[in-house]
Amino acid sequence: MRILIIEDEVDLLASLAKALREEGYAVDTATDGEEGLYKAQSWDYDALVLDVMLPRIDGWAVLQRLRQTKKSPVLMLTARDAARDRVRGLDTGADDYMVKPFDLDELFARLRALIRRAAGQTRNTLDINGHVIDTAARRVTCDGHVIALTAREYALVEFLALHRGEVVTRTTLYEHLFDEDDNTLSNLLDVHVSNLRKKLGTGFITTHRGHGYCIE
Amino acid sequence: MKFYHSIRWRLQLWHGLLLMLVLVGFGYTAWQLERATQLQRVDQDLERRVAVIAGAMRRGKSPQDRPPQDRPPQDRPPQGRPPPGPPREDRSSNIAAPPPTEVRLSARDESLFEGDTGNGFYYVAWLEDGRQISRSESAPTQISLPERGQEPAEARSRGNLREYARFMDTGECIIVGRDISDEVAVIHRFSWMLGTAGSMVFLLALGGGWLISTRTLRPLAEIGDAATKIASGDLSQRIATDDTCSELGVLIRVLNDTFDRLQASFARQAQFTADASHELRTPISVVITQTQAALARERPASEYRDSLAACQRAAQRMRRLTESLLVLARLDSGEASAIHASCDLSVIASDVIDLLRTLAAQQNVSLHAELTPTHCIGNGEQLGQVVTNLVSNAITYNQPGGSVRVSVSTESNVVVLTVTDTGQGIAPEDMPHIFERFYRADPARTSVTGRSGLGLAITRAIVAAHGGSLEVTSEQSMGSTFTVRVPQASADQDGPVES
Repeated sequence: MRILIIEDEVDLLASLAKALREEGYAVDTATDGEEGLYKAQSWDYDALVLDVMLPRIDGWAVLQRLRQTKKSPVLMLTARDAARDRVRGLDTGADDYMVKPFDLDELFARLRALIRRAAGQTRNTLDINGHVIDTAARRVTCDGHVIALTAREYALVEFLALHRGEVVTRTTLYEHLFDEDDNTLSNLLDVHVSNLRKKLGTGFITTHRGHGYCIE
Repeated sequence: MKFYHSIRWRLQLWHGLLLMLVLVGFGYTAWQLERATQLQRVDQDLERRVAVIAGAMRRGKSPQDRPPQDRPPQDRPPQGRPPPGPPREDRSSNIAAPPPTEVRLSARDESLFEGDTGNGFYYVAWLEDGRQISRSESAPTQISLPERGQEPAEARSRGNLREYARFMDTGECIIVGRDISDEVAVIHRFSWMLGTAGSMVFLLALGGGWLISTRTLRPLAEIGDAATKIASGDLSQRIATDDTCSELGVLIRVLNDTFDRLQASFARQAQFTADASHELRTPISVVITQTQAALARERPASEYRDSLAACQRAAQRMRRLTESLLVLARLDSGEASAIHASCDLSVIASDVIDLLRTLAAQQNVSLHAELTPTHCIGNGEQLGQVVTNLVSNAITYNQPGGSVRVSVSTESNVVVLTVTDTGQGIAPEDMPHIFERFYRADPARTSVTGRSGLGLAITRAIVAAHGGSLEVTSEQSMGSTFTVRVPQASADQDGPVES
């Protein structure tokens, strides 16, 4: 899952990005509205964290212009807590709204909910052929036993599971699992997939040659 | 509120009392006048008849004094009753004429007392000793010699009888009377009419008074309603009125203006509190996210150090903000301490410039000062903050390679401080707002410059507390000039100060 954070308060941005990366997300950052809008329009982010008070272009304008082309879930983050500000945010196209100061765990939970809803899911757990994927705990269990996965392996499983039945291209996987600073080689994907097949069973992920991967 | 506390009831009560007094006074006067008129008419009749009797009596008493033709002989035989009691010796001894033992009236005069033409008049005549000399047929039996008053002739009322008594010089007394039931009835009718009309006028006036007081007091009720709503928290309430000229209209206008100012003041206060808490939210969220993320798992020491450094920056920012808020709160409450100290603005400016040289060097901005010694009355620390705010703003919002000029001089009893920069200038749309609290030309958090958005507001408040003025002129992309004017102290100027 790849997330873009647009926030001009550098210390806040750094700690948010770090915490989200530790949660297994690929995180891009922007410190002003212009840069943020450019990035948001260039990639299909799984979620956006958007501050309202931003240099150059404020959060409202970023949201308004982004909504002309993209449907990425947006969580507005702002110090303004007046009801009319929240209404304005949600009406402009935000999917959720959080007032500073906020709790990191709540922010994570809301982001998970946004990503889940965008994928058409209603619950935190996905059951795939006996394997249960818990998106809150970020782990996969089989018959009650936890299967040890690396953060990236889990992210790969989660993304494919959320898009169950769809053939996901390698480019899409790259775009959603690695952030802009990641220089991972493309064949690393194949390594992750083969490791996952060893841990979860060979039939768990199917390869569609020339197209991509899929969880049936 | 009891009804007797109500202004309307009190007005009504006083109005009613006054009206009642006026009506009663008027009615009584009218009644007295009417009664006097009625009785006067009766009295005139009585008096005329008394004169007739008196004439007849004189004729009977001294026939030789009268011309003979006045007394026809046929009048001589007694026609009245014989006088009761013995004749009076004393009178007969000193008066030549025989005492009058009877009153002989001509037929014409007789008709004044008897029969249909008598109209109920009667007469009785007494000697001085109380013996009746004569009386008419119609005279009531219960009648006695009246007490002689000071006047020789007096009218008196006895029940429904009106009598006129006249004492002759010779001591006899004549009473002519009449039944005045008709006149009394007229007076009674008149007083009833007065009473009825008076009561109606009273009731009508009370009703009218009630209407007028209701109408007059309606604005007061509206004022009360609006004030109650305002007191209960709805500051948007106003007193509706079309009346702008009357005393109440003026009062309502004044009250509405007051409510306007009150509402604006509350709104400003609420906005200030909202802004202040808003400003605090960002550093607080930095502290919260940094600590939550740091504590989520075991980390190397360098990461803890980074987190702590970020927390420290956030805490410093909150400290600056709260300090600024405190300064503003003190200035707002008028707690301007030691504002009467004498100080030299050029020395203050020189100290500030020395402190800010490092910042200027960091921003690659050159600092120039033209300081003439001045004397002004004020608080040195606060004036130092004014200079610090203006000069550090001029450095921060300058462009690399730009310059800042600070000058202190005296112009006709006013100490003038100007700070000129070569920055971007202030956009015309921002000009009216730059002295507002938390206003920033750039809506973004200026966390880079670490400013609270209160600097110019504090500056203005301090200058205002010193009885001075703060002005700004700006030209886009050319720079801005802030000018502070504070009153000069009356003391003599000191020597020049190095800058």
